[in-house]
Amino acid sequence: MNCLEFRRRVGAEPSVSDAGLENHRRECPACSRYQHELRAMDALLAQALAVDAARIRGPDPGVLAARTTPSRPRWLALAASIVISVSAGLALWFASPRPSLAREVIGHVAHEPGAIAGTAPITPAELAEVLAPNGARLRPGIGDVTFAARCVFESHVVPHLVVRTSRGPVTVLLLRHRDVSGPVRLAEEGYAGMVLPAPHGSIAIVGQDQKDLDGIARQVFEAVDWGA
Amino acid sequence: MNRDERGTDRQRRFGVLCEALRPDLLRFAFWLGRDRQLAEDVVQEAMLRAWKSFDSLADDGKAKSWLLTIVRRELARTFERKRLEATDLDALVASEAEVLAADDDAGLAEMREALFRLEDEHREPLVLQVLMGYSTKEIAEQMGLQQGTVLTRLFRARARLRRELGIAVEQSPS
Repeated sequence: MNCLEFRRRVGAEPSVSDAGLENHRRECPACSRYQHELRAMDALLAQALAVDAARIRGPDPGVLAARTTPSRPRWLALAASIVISVSAGLALWFASPRPSLAREVIGHVAHEPGAIAGTAPITPAELAEVLAPNGARLRPGIGDVTFAARCVFESHVVPHLVVRTSRGPVTVLLLRHRDVSGPVRLAEEGYAGMVLPAPHGSIAIVGQDQKDLDGIARQVFEAVDWGA
Repeated sequence: MNRDERGTDRQRRFGVLCEALRPDLLRFAFWLGRDRQLAEDVVQEAMLRAWKSFDSLADDGKAKSWLLTIVRRELARTFERKRLEATDLDALVASEAEVLAADDDAGLAEMREALFRLEDEHREPLVLQVLMGYSTKEIAEQMGLQQGTVLTRLFRARARLRRELGIAVEQSPS
């Protein structure tokens, strides 16, 4: 299987899996990342499609039944019990433990090894295009931004940057949706970093082999203007 | 079982099925019609039709696809009747802002708007796959298409969404 075939199949069915796809995924980091991103996007998609049905409103099936007979408490009780069972199932499903923030951040960075490799700065317009929907801005002076993309992370679209600071390149994720009560340290798969509370949500800063990551993180944190 | 009991049992069965499936039917009709009033009317009409032909449903396990087919046909009938004209997408999004809104989650609202802007032929298979949990084979049967066509449409739908959302997820396949 080649990349084109893999992407055609996964692009139509991100959750699909078979031996051929698995083999290719293991051999091709770029396609593996592609599938990972699509699965993340599908999680957001599922959330987006599940609009609150009460906002659409609809006919009460009880009304249909009541057109020929009076309402039946037993019928309602049975219907209610089913709704409660379904709700309880959904609640359990949603309450199942999520992967830790550290694992999510490192996993995302590790899935995009190419992002950190670039050395050519992107243009201010490209950077603004990525940051603007989140109302954020990067103050000048922090270093060249060599990668900027909008990625799906924890079912949210977040800015993902690579900044070449004076002490080496770091990956920055602006996690407006994710509140943390205090700094969270990350150290997995050869990556090290931290997630810091920010004016809106939090910011993840991840590097490799940097000696003064706390200093770099502080520098990056102060360079982000979160807007209103 | 006498006739009254059979009638009551039938109503109960119908009510239970509809109660469980109604939210998804409303969502399905809303995403296809992109109009909450239309969705409500279509689902109401579809349920009346379903009630009248309820005896044709032999297996309750197939109720979901049975009801979905009725909703889909009703939508098609409505579109044919109203001869809906080409729509101003911005106005459409604005008119349904209340349903598309996601409290404190700009990304979710953005995704909903991007879905609204997808062409019908791309949006429907995506809704069937992601919201209703249909396989590509089932989608092909529901839409009367070849499975390959469904796969192409699903691929294009996601590619279009990524472009709309500005998500850079891949380079061109080599």
